[in-house]
Amino acid sequence: MINNIKKLVKDFSLSELRGGMKITAKELINKKITVQYPEERTPISPRFRGLHALRRYPNGEERCIACKLCEAVCPANAITIESEARDDGTRRTTQYDIDLFKCIFCGFCEEACPVDAIVETQIFDYAFVDSREGSIIDKAHLLEVGDKNEKVINQTKLEDAKYR
Amino acid sequence: MADIEIEIDGNVVNAKAGEMLIAVTDREGISVPRFCYHKKLSIAANCRMCLVDVEGAPKPQPACSTPIADGMKIHTQNEKAKASQKAVMEFLLINHPLDCPICDQGGECELQDVAMDYGSDVSRFTEGKRIVADSDIGALIQTDMTRCIHCTRCVRFGAEVAGIMEMGGTGRGEDMKIEPFLEEGIQSELSGNMIDVCPVGALTSKPFRYELRSWQMNAVSNIARHDLVGSSIYTQTYKGKVKRIVAKDNESVNETWISDRDRFSYEGLSHENRLLAPQIKVEGKWQEVEWNVALDFALRGLANNVFNARQADQLGALASNTATLEEFHLLQKILREVGSENIDHRLNIKDLNNAISLESNIKLAGLEGVDHALVIGSNLRLEQPMISHRLRKANLSGASVDVINAMAFDFNYRLNSENIIPPHQTAATLAGVLKSVLQSAQAEIPEYLSDIEVSDVATQLANKLSDSDNSVIVLGEHVINNPQASSIANLINEIAQQTNSTTLNLSASGNSTAANLSCFVPGKGGLDVNAMLAADLKAYILLDVYPQYDFHNSVQAVESLSNDDTFVISLNSFKDDAVAQYSNVLLPIASFYETSGSHVNVEGKVQSFSAAVNAPSDAKPAWKVLKVLADLLELPGFHYADSTQVTTEVMHQSHKQHVHDESIDVKVKRGINIIWQKSPYAVDVLSRHAASLQATKIGQINSASMNKATAKKLEVTQDDKYLGVPVVVSESVANNCVFVNSNHSTGGQS
Repeated sequence: MINNIKKLVKDFSLSELRGGMKITAKELINKKITVQYPEERTPISPRFRGLHALRRYPNGEERCIACKLCEAVCPANAITIESEARDDGTRRTTQYDIDLFKCIFCGFCEEACPVDAIVETQIFDYAFVDSREGSIIDKAHLLEVGDKNEKVINQTKLEDAKYR
Repeated sequence: MADIEIEIDGNVVNAKAGEMLIAVTDREGISVPRFCYHKKLSIAANCRMCLVDVEGAPKPQPACSTPIADGMKIHTQNEKAKASQKAVMEFLLINHPLDCPICDQGGECELQDVAMDYGSDVSRFTEGKRIVADSDIGALIQTDMTRCIHCTRCVRFGAEVAGIMEMGGTGRGEDMKIEPFLEEGIQSELSGNMIDVCPVGALTSKPFRYELRSWQMNAVSNIARHDLVGSSIYTQTYKGKVKRIVAKDNESVNETWISDRDRFSYEGLSHENRLLAPQIKVEGKWQEVEWNVALDFALRGLANNVFNARQADQLGALASNTATLEEFHLLQKILREVGSENIDHRLNIKDLNNAISLESNIKLAGLEGVDHALVIGSNLRLEQPMISHRLRKANLSGASVDVINAMAFDFNYRLNSENIIPPHQTAATLAGVLKSVLQSAQAEIPEYLSDIEVSDVATQLANKLSDSDNSVIVLGEHVINNPQASSIANLINEIAQQTNSTTLNLSASGNSTAANLSCFVPGKGGLDVNAMLAADLKAYILLDVYPQYDFHNSVQAVESLSNDDTFVISLNSFKDDAVAQYSNVLLPIASFYETSGSHVNVEGKVQSFSAAVNAPSDAKPAWKVLKVLADLLELPGFHYADSTQVTTEVMHQSHKQHVHDESIDVKVKRGINIIWQKSPYAVDVLSRHAASLQATKIGQINSASMNKATAKKLEVTQDDKYLGVPVVVSESVANNCVFVNSNHSTGGQS
């Protein structure tokens, strides 16, 4: 009985609405935390595992030596590599494909790579424009991602290096 | 040797006194790490990896060179053993580069495996590592000598098995290098085995370089069909392609070695000359068509030329001797069902009335146990490398070997006597041997021997054969074009019977034992190959025939097959201009390793194998093509679900004994005698298309050897060609004889 009366008073005095309005009024003055994506972005850990990239050495030579350890370690079988002896006698890939539909972004490929060629960048907002085939990124694409983001990749790897 | 008991890691083990410790641990399945020890090579004990703790010994002992004795107590896993193994590992890794990611041995490397168990994860060696310059040692083996750990397996393999010491260690200590002594590199016909014995990535396969990692491939057991041995191999495949071939242990056939021809011929499988789609010739132009269209066309051709006129005897079948047992059987069954006996596989023999009939009644492994061998007309090393190896083993353990050849060849062991005799005197010489044998046994001399004079050579050869308890007479390939071939075979038979010798007939090649087993020879009233070509038959079914290599007289063969009213169905695995010229239908068939079937080796051992990969594109296994052809011809009894049912059928059919001519003609013929032989790496269509094999020195053999007197008689000099083959003048050839090793057939000029 007494509870019903209490509720009646509360309802008619609009106390909950006032409580809500109080928060609204407070937030009206407080600093905003909404991130205006894509113009603004949240900070990302250097260990973030996003889109893959193939890196080059500073002299422009691709790092990958086609050892296929990433292919072997990949739990999702997302990586396909074909190799040959290049004209100068070095071991190189002729094909390096990653199927992003299969990839589970575990980062094992990066761990396995003896020459830090394959890395996972902080890029997460890529899109497949043309369906199934679009999900497979090839060597040229991977190198392009690497070339464009080399500075950031280098920076994040440096930041993370001391914890490894 | 007495049975003794020793204790290994606390378990009592029975063994023979004097055995090496590592042999016992291997048998018992106890793992002891090793690099230099190899069960088929001598003991070097130079890697020190197999150190184990023997109770009572002051220091750890190498298991590979410690003979066991009664009551010995050995610890392979205790602290002392482990510590010494770890120490040795550290030393071995001092100069070994850390390039496993780009090393072709990575994943199947003994050093890598052992380092996982015994290696330390941190190197204490901060000085500079040693770098060794590489030398190009040929088209087959890639070297990365910086990786070498000086186990000397390759050196010992060369000296002990291949019989030519081509690799060796030079320098000492830090400066020691394993390198070929000669600039021309490694030329042995067994050289590929060095890749298998090398425990690290110092010697790897050149054609396979950087293609794949070992874990990517599937290994399928298979049989190599290039020679009369049928070596056991593993075909390693990746995505439906054969990528590499390695030896498989089979003590009774090839032990643990294979020849380079077996190892590297797979390269031909992906050659651009593969025949990939069925084709028919319409008004002189080739069209690619579907299988059913091609088979219809073939049937119509057969009907028009043969069946409508009820002339089954106008149909002939020829096969190269690389076909499988099943293919031979099905093709001869089709022919016999339709009523033709014109069947033959002996395409390279000039005179088939003179066919060789000689049983092989010795096992391959038994060759090692002979105490004397007489080799007649053979360059064994290049023709049958694995058989030559067995004989070499016998020789090293004391057997004497006599040779009758038309030319001095390289034998990689010491011969008792090498008799250079022109081919037309071979029969007479053997007759002399027989006469001498009979004389010393005081047996009756048959009439045909009455005129024979027994030379000193013949007496010596005869005495050797009579004196030995376990001798073998080996008849090689050179005899096939000898006008007295059948007499020679019959004489050998007689000599073998009189001296209690065994015989080994190496005059055929490839899978021809299977052809004989499946009766792929003309039956009663049938024509042999030469008679067929001379008779201008109206229709042929040809199985993987390449005229410029397979026929004795290719010009005549192509001419005869090209007749306008001759309908030719060719089942081929490779494209070929001559085949295209005379064929009306081309059916693409599977090549080696792409079909299931059986190989029958010289001792009669039937070895079946399954397909390692599918045939490329539209090509089909020949046994299936033949089965479908038979079904379309509405012949009874061709209901096979797989090739093993065909095998069973062949094995259960009665094998007719061929009647052969037992007459012996020992007269010495006059004139120049030519021994025409295919080069070792041109014996079958697959090895002819293997680029790396062709790039070797053996692959490039193309010479007509003769001595000065013969050259003068033939009016040729060193710069000329004789029958299209470059002339080599050498005094090692018998008089009035030309020895030709060529990559094509005579073209009918001899």
